[in-house]
Amino acid sequence: MSIESILGTLEWTAENSLAAASQWKQASGRRIVGSFPMHFPGEMAHAAGCTPVILQESHEPITVGHGMIYPFYCGFTRSIVDQACKGDYDFLDAIMFGDHCVQVLGAADVVRAKLPNTRVHFYQLISSMSDPWSLGRARETFLNLKEGLEEMIGHSIDDEAMRASIRLFNRNRQMLRKLYEMRRAGDARLTARQMQILVKSSMIMDKAEHNRLLEELLAEFDKTRATAQRGVRVYLSGHFCQAPKTGVLDMIEECGGIVVDDDLYHGQRFISTDVDDSIDPLDALAKWYLERNLKVPCPTRVDQNADWENYLLDAMERSRADGMIVLMAKFCEPHMYYYPEIKEAFEKRGVPHLLIETEHELNSFEALRTRVETFLEVVKRQTAARRIAA
Amino acid sequence: MNDLILPQGKKANRLKTSSMNNKMVNDYWTDVFNAKAEGKLVCWYEGVAINPLMQAADIRWVHGEAWSALLAARNNEQPAQTAAEHRGYMKELCSYARTHIGCGVLAQNRGVEASGSSFSDALGAGLLGERIPAPDMFISAYPYCSTGQQWDEMLFRLFGKKIPIFNISVPWVWGNKPDAMYLGGSEFNEAKQYMVKQIRACTDWIAQQTGKKYNWDKLSEIMSYTKTAGRLRVEAMELCKAKPAPASFFDWTTSLAPVNFIPGGPAIVDYFEKTKAEIVQRIADNEGGIPQEKYRLFWDGIMNWNKIGWLANKFAAYDANMVAGRYTHMGFWHEFESIDVENPLEGMAVNYLVCPINLSAPLMIEQIIKLCKHYEIEGVVLHAARTCRAFSNPQFLIADAVQKRLGLPVAMIEGDMVDESFYKDEIVNSRVEAMLESIEARKRVGIAA
Ligand code: SF4
Ligand code: SF4
Repeated sequence: MSIESILGTLEWTAENSLAAASQWKQASGRRIVGSFPMHFPGEMAHAAGCTPVILQESHEPITVGHGMIYPFYCGFTRSIVDQACKGDYDFLDAIMFGDHCVQVLGAADVVRAKLPNTRVHFYQLISSMSDPWSLGRARETFLNLKEGLEEMIGHSIDDEAMRASIRLFNRNRQMLRKLYEMRRAGDARLTARQMQILVKSSMIMDKAEHNRLLEELLAEFDKTRATAQRGVRVYLSGHFCQAPKTGVLDMIEECGGIVVDDDLYHGQRFISTDVDDSIDPLDALAKWYLERNLKVPCPTRVDQNADWENYLLDAMERSRADGMIVLMAKFCEPHMYYYPEIKEAFEKRGVPHLLIETEHELNSFEALRTRVETFLEVVKRQTAARRIAA
Repeated sequence: MNDLILPQGKKANRLKTSSMNNKMVNDYWTDVFNAKAEGKLVCWYEGVAINPLMQAADIRWVHGEAWSALLAARNNEQPAQTAAEHRGYMKELCSYARTHIGCGVLAQNRGVEASGSSFSDALGAGLLGERIPAPDMFISAYPYCSTGQQWDEMLFRLFGKKIPIFNISVPWVWGNKPDAMYLGGSEFNEAKQYMVKQIRACTDWIAQQTGKKYNWDKLSEIMSYTKTAGRLRVEAMELCKAKPAPASFFDWTTSLAPVNFIPGGPAIVDYFEKTKAEIVQRIADNEGGIPQEKYRLFWDGIMNWNKIGWLANKFAAYDANMVAGRYTHMGFWHEFESIDVENPLEGMAVNYLVCPINLSAPLMIEQIIKLCKHYEIEGVVLHAARTCRAFSNPQFLIADAVQKRLGLPVAMIEGDMVDESFYKDEIVNSRVEAMLESIEARKRVGIAA
């Protein structure tokens, strides 16, 4: 398959997540376990013979959901509630989740009320990451999740099955990271939209199938030589549970930005960390859970050993980015809370950044275009001035 | 609906004992302001009432919500909110947190030299927000709301990660298993043990901070006062089943301090003894919490501190008695029976776990339905606090349940805890009037039938 046709297949999955999952259910006969972002270990559901699917914000306007959730919630939670009210989740065999952003919890209660015949299970992951008991508690939670899955499938999940799933998922993350590396180095020309498609489709598609397509894609990229791109090197940060609208990504690139790296959940955050396949799988997952927050710090967690702002400054240096665009989903509390830390650190270091708030209802990005153009222009000048000074 | 037009001059008949509460609150904050001069450590915290843990170790405490609410009630919240805004905290964030963090920003700008000012001087100068003593430690134990936990974390970062912080993770009472129930079931029991383990570790940590052995006897003594105060408060509230109800939700809101952050001691017991006596007397005199009780309502959601007096009078003017509420009746040591004063950690954990936001909707709704039945409620007002999603989360499910299961009309109103700009009086009036009209219609049908 050509690069275009592989990306086309993945794009369809990414953009039609529930249809893709339901088709897969019919074709494979596997149970589908939906989960909320951002820390659910899909490996475990996979080892139980199910297909894990991370539930996505839908592009549909919110209608019936208005009757169950206030408008001052992030687009992701409103959309989840809306989809549950519309019956879109009826085909799921279970919804299991462990994240506890207060808005997700609100949505979860509504989802459970709307799906009385579906297991909607919560396995609360400790969100304070640097306590003496953080690791142990995370393991206990994963054990509870394992028991919940076993109860659903009617038999136990053995460690070998867990390890096999862990290896499969590691392979997937490694290939996606490789693509990121190639993009950073200029060896693969991938737009921000395409990068999102690659990661988002991995949240939905059967992993073995996704791996097969990624292998082909990597082989294709190996054959081609990328031509150098000109433009302002941009780092994208933020946007947690929901994928940024692809229109906003396109607009940034149309204005002359080249997105070279990101910490988006539908990006590096999702694929940052592998699970150790050589030790007890529950120990390995607990370790993974804590390590992941050191690799790419998450503001929905509290962690004395992680500083998101410093991580971002370092990441920008590593990817030789000239400016950062922060994409913030409107009403996202964890992001709003942390943003002043980033702002202060970036201003202190003289690294330019631009904050863009996004909304579920926002489909035209023209109003933002001028701000992005101006920002990129400023960054361009600053970068040129720095080069001359050096 | 002419008969519902606000009659002039009808005001809430507030409990007289409330004035004792004001004095206790002022004395308490005076002690906090004197902390540094008296060589006491100061702990900042938010959420559930973990203050007995500090009190037993002779540490003074600043409860973030109480502090923000006080600033709002005394019109001193603006400088703190503006300082927070300047640092980049957006308006859609929890207004309690914004206000409190704003105080942190002000405290940093001000430097140490001004921290010795007295409570009354600072209040007089309109500088309450910036004169709050800076923390020597943080304890974070926020149930349900991730925003609460993050609030502590951001304070920790604001103070340069130099002040020690202890995190207690409070599990949400969700209920995966069929045995899940209020105060019971395997998951609840596990959560309780997990909490006890963490609270015990917290006492060890407190001992490290003070350099003194943790005083368990003192904790037991404090908890015995707390338990008694909790019992008296619940008994007094339950007496409001009487018609007319002798006190309102607004009275119970202004009586929260003694079961929330005032030191556990004879004064809080005395306060609720007097409150209960006043309630008993009012029942004997057939005196209601409002001049004329025509409707009995339930308040769901957190309080609106900027508007508390205003709202109390508004409902009084509608002849609507706000008899009970989730905020007041489903928290603040209301499960006093679970406290074993000799061995108080488990009972404390229980009360923290069943606070008014930490139950998942099905469990919470059962408790609300019970209260509505007990108090013979006729309508439910749901206050959607714009920046407190924790309280707003289950409100559509609650509204649905009371409508379907009890046939009660509801009014959903928007406001906020301490950010006045989110409150829209016209909307409140029209929604409340529509609800009262439905109650009237139901009564007419009831009478006709
Ligand atoms: S973390 Fe942000 S995007 Fe995710 S559910 Fe919470 S508010 Fe929404
Ligand atoms: S949003 Fe509500 S529950 Fe959460 S921290 Fe603020 S006041 Fe507390």
